[in-house]
Amino acid sequence: MANSSMPIERLQALDNVEKEIASCIQSAGQALTELSKDKASMKQVESHTSQFLKTLNHVEGELSKHINYLTQVSTGQPHEGSAYGSVKMYKTARHRLEHTCSRLQDLENLKNRALASTVRPASAQNNP
Amino acid sequence: MAQRALPQSKEALLKSYNKRLKDDVKSLLDNFSEIIKLARVEEETQVSRMTQCEEDHFEMLVRASNIVRAGESLMKLVTDLKQYLILNDFPSANEAISQTARSMLAMQQESDRKLMALRDDLAADLYDLEEEYYSSPFK
Repeated sequence: MANSSMPIERLQALDNVEKEIASCIQSAGQALTELSKDKASMKQVESHTSQFLKTLNHVEGELSKHINYLTQVSTGQPHEGSAYGSVKMYKTARHRLEHTCSRLQDLENLKNRALASTVRPASAQNNP
Repeated sequence: MAQRALPQSKEALLKSYNKRLKDDVKSLLDNFSEIIKLARVEEETQVSRMTQCEEDHFEMLVRASNIVRAGESLMKLVTDLKQYLILNDFPSANEAISQTARSMLAMQQESDRKLMALRDDLAADLYDLEEEYYSSPFK
């Protein structure tokens, strides 16, 4: 079994197994519903039954495969790895960016105040 | 991959998963085949046909419930396997952590690169502003 498959793929495979279990029971129900009819079509019954058996076989095979994989890779120890270091570095970079934004905003405000103060005396001169 | 010695609890847990899988699949198969067998109409013996029909009907209900119960037990097993996979699948956990670390590092480097470019632009503009300021009467 490939050890380099992404974790999400294994979880998606287990999601598919869940859907197959539901479809397996549905096939069993359809086979029995067909058998309960007055004029049952044996071809339909056999087709639903073989579908039920095939799906059940596949479910058992898939789950056995996953259990065997887990038997091989699990160590019994808790996993102590984390991405904390790189997350912290990213957050400090964000802080640097936000600090820069705030200083530039202060500069912008200073510029606007200076512009406003030069415009007001000019308009006062034009309108005595 | 060489088989390492698992702690007894983990080994027992995985064995229990195998047992649950086998039992549930067997239950599904046996109950389904028994319901099919009950569909055969047999000759009336000591028990009257009506009583036999009632008995068969009740047995079919119980076996159908068993099939549903085995199916739900299989669903629970899949949930437990998913949980065990998330907690104990070290190759996948390592891969996920490496990927997160790589993406965080890439974003941090991109952010710092853009900040340095901004700094260089501001330094160039500051040069012109200083020229202007120091040659003005307002200094």
